[in-house]
Amino acid sequence: MVKFLSEDWIEYGKQYIRENLDPQKDLNNITTSVLGVIEHVPPQDTTTNFYLEITKGQLSDFILRIGDSISEKEAVFVITGNYGTFRDIFEGKIGIAMALLKNRIKLKGSKIEALKIIKQLDGLIEALRKISDEFEE
Amino acid sequence: MVDDSIVTIKKTGLEEAVAIAEKGTHCGMCRIDFLGTGLCPSGKKHGYVAYWPQGRMEIVKHLNNGRIQPTEKLIDIANSCTLCGICDKQCNFATQLRPEKVAKALKEYVKNLDKKKLQKVPADDILTGLRAIVGDEWATNDPVIIASYIRSIIPPDAPLNYYIVIPETTEQVSKIIKFANKHNIPFLPRSGGTALSVATPTILSNATSLEHGIVLDLLRLKKLQIHPESSTARVGAGVTAFELQKEAYKHHLRANVAEAGAHVCANIATTGIVTTWGNKYGCFADNFIDLELVDNDGNIRNHHDMEISNPYATDNNFTNISLSPPYVITEITVKLFPIFDDEEAVFVPFDNVEDALDMVLELGKRGIGLSLAVLSYKYLAEFICPTRKIATDFEDVCKNYLKLRYVLDVVCTKEDKKIIEGMFDYTIDQNMLRTLILGSPKLASLKTSEFMKILSEEEDPLRAVFAGPMRKHFEKGLDASPENIAKVYDADLQDFFKKVYARPDFTNVVWLHAFRILPSRLMRQRMAMGPGGAIWAGDKKHILKWINMFAEVGDKHKLEHALGFISPLDDGKFIYIEYDYFYDHNNPEVAGRISQTLLETTEKSLALGNVFTLINYLFKGIHRKEHVLYPLPKGLTKEEEKIFIDVLHSVLGEFEPW
Repeated sequence: MVKFLSEDWIEYGKQYIRENLDPQKDLNNITTSVLGVIEHVPPQDTTTNFYLEITKGQLSDFILRIGDSISEKEAVFVITGNYGTFRDIFEGKIGIAMALLKNRIKLKGSKIEALKIIKQLDGLIEALRKISDEFEE
Repeated sequence: MVDDSIVTIKKTGLEEAVAIAEKGTHCGMCRIDFLGTGLCPSGKKHGYVAYWPQGRMEIVKHLNNGRIQPTEKLIDIANSCTLCGICDKQCNFATQLRPEKVAKALKEYVKNLDKKKLQKVPADDILTGLRAIVGDEWATNDPVIIASYIRSIIPPDAPLNYYIVIPETTEQVSKIIKFANKHNIPFLPRSGGTALSVATPTILSNATSLEHGIVLDLLRLKKLQIHPESSTARVGAGVTAFELQKEAYKHHLRANVAEAGAHVCANIATTGIVTTWGNKYGCFADNFIDLELVDNDGNIRNHHDMEISNPYATDNNFTNISLSPPYVITEITVKLFPIFDDEEAVFVPFDNVEDALDMVLELGKRGIGLSLAVLSYKYLAEFICPTRKIATDFEDVCKNYLKLRYVLDVVCTKEDKKIIEGMFDYTIDQNMLRTLILGSPKLASLKTSEFMKILSEEEDPLRAVFAGPMRKHFEKGLDASPENIAKVYDADLQDFFKKVYARPDFTNVVWLHAFRILPSRLMRQRMAMGPGGAIWAGDKKHILKWINMFAEVGDKHKLEHALGFISPLDDGKFIYIEYDYFYDHNNPEVAGRISQTLLETTEKSLALGNVFTLINYLFKGIHRKEHVLYPLPKGLTKEEEKIFIDVLHSVLGEFEPW
């Protein structure tokens, strides 16, 4: 178990997803990419970005950057929210669809395309939840 | 459970209070002065729901089940009640409950507490920050106060990890939201709370409530200015429909408002005000001239700002669903409308929905009537009968003996009334309506009488009663008087209600439509969940198919159900339909069936197409009807239906398939 939004989180996350999620069964062989923009990250009130790319159900990229944006990647979806919302999502207090419908996260990209892969996104978050046990207060 | 060591004597009386409190429904009628009694002095002074009768009822339940421990604030809340009895009158009119008994029991309870053992509630950094914005008095983390918000914004089983804050200005709302974002705390505004309380016992609980964080109670945003010169009113987020209407009437003007206890700003944000006046007065953005809101980043915006992008446009696709408001409306300038001196109410009874629908569509297209709707017998009975028992018997009389299943309900000018009277053999006029209101107990009591039996054997019982030779006997037999209707109330309240019903307003159907105090009776000791939405008025078969679907699903899940109302919009091009399911909110099994029904009817409605369902309606109220309703979404494709089901599962968790 590792700290949420740490380099270890990325490394363990890659490993866990590759070892535990079946490209067809769990990820429906989807090809997509998500840029997460996490604002107000404590303790310095910074912005942290992560980029996650799935190609035909396989994790093909998962990177983290604190402060600077990940401008070299063109994500299909950009989701923006504060650290508290992402913490609640990764702690299982609120689902990503609920966060979206409750306007806790803003989505850039087609909402219908995002909703089409909601089941797979839930699966990915569930997997990352299993390795995340430390959060900033 | 509560640590009994802190209670020095047995909690006598609290059990009876809990029995009353469990029937409370957060209808909010104890927060408006609709009977001319004045307001609860404690609630008016302190603001928090905890200090209002509805809040005390919620607190008593959670003290009894051990969810909360007594704090200093509990003593203050209990002792702030002067036992003036106002709440008993208000609550009795709407729900027949006696909240003062709860307040008395709470006073007794705190009298016997060992004050040294009260739970301490230290302030933390977040509370200190909130108090710096609104002042010490208006932000709290006291669990007793927090508990009073359970079921009307806080889910029933959530840990009480909340702050309640009551801002007074738009600037304070902005600062609170920026503060919440900076500290990564979710927030949600609360106005009347009634709509949230209806959803709470169902699967929608988590979707509509705040799971933890900051509750922004908007009650103190009380600006209310009438501008007769422009027929507008500037209304703050804490102003209720009743309060606005009361002020508007002083200027011989009328506002298009929701139920009496609903807050105007929140209602516009949520559904764009669904009323029976919508065909004449408008819907969605028709309702207002300008508004001020605070967005989810804490920015204050006004619709009159020249730089903003088009605030009136919206996507009406099924994916554009919002379960929480994306902004907090803090002030709004609403339109007001003239009141005509010759306004009257006229009802036309029907024994089937098809004929009633034909007529409301026809009148809607012709622009006849200020308020125009079809009501089912159930709404009629619930609205006019003083108690639930009388309403049940009245329903029986209407449905089975009089064959009165629907009424066309019109408020109109004399000229329009003549047109309506010319279209039908007989109508029910204001005098007869007054007789039905005051005579409702007597009419209900005739359920098993020989008179009703004879009447039901008539070919057209409605004609016999409302136009035939029996009319005089019928009117006389109902003993319609304030004295007689007052007899159904508790002995100590009879004099008061005699005076209430002697007031012209309380039997004036035009006034009752404008002030909308009677819909609160739908909440007496239970809940009414009313899905529905807007549908194109040009296809009668499609409309009937939709109504029948609601009825079939209600039957399937063995629920008490009925059409609520049908009312035209946009010069009769659309109609709004509310279909109601009634349930005991204390019965989890029936709440489960309500949940199934909501999911099933929503999915079937979306699949049916050419309808704009309630779930689509939510938080579209500030947009133009032209964007919201044109064109109505087509039925879901199979692929979209699957997406919808996946999203529902993701949002609501696992539930039984239908």
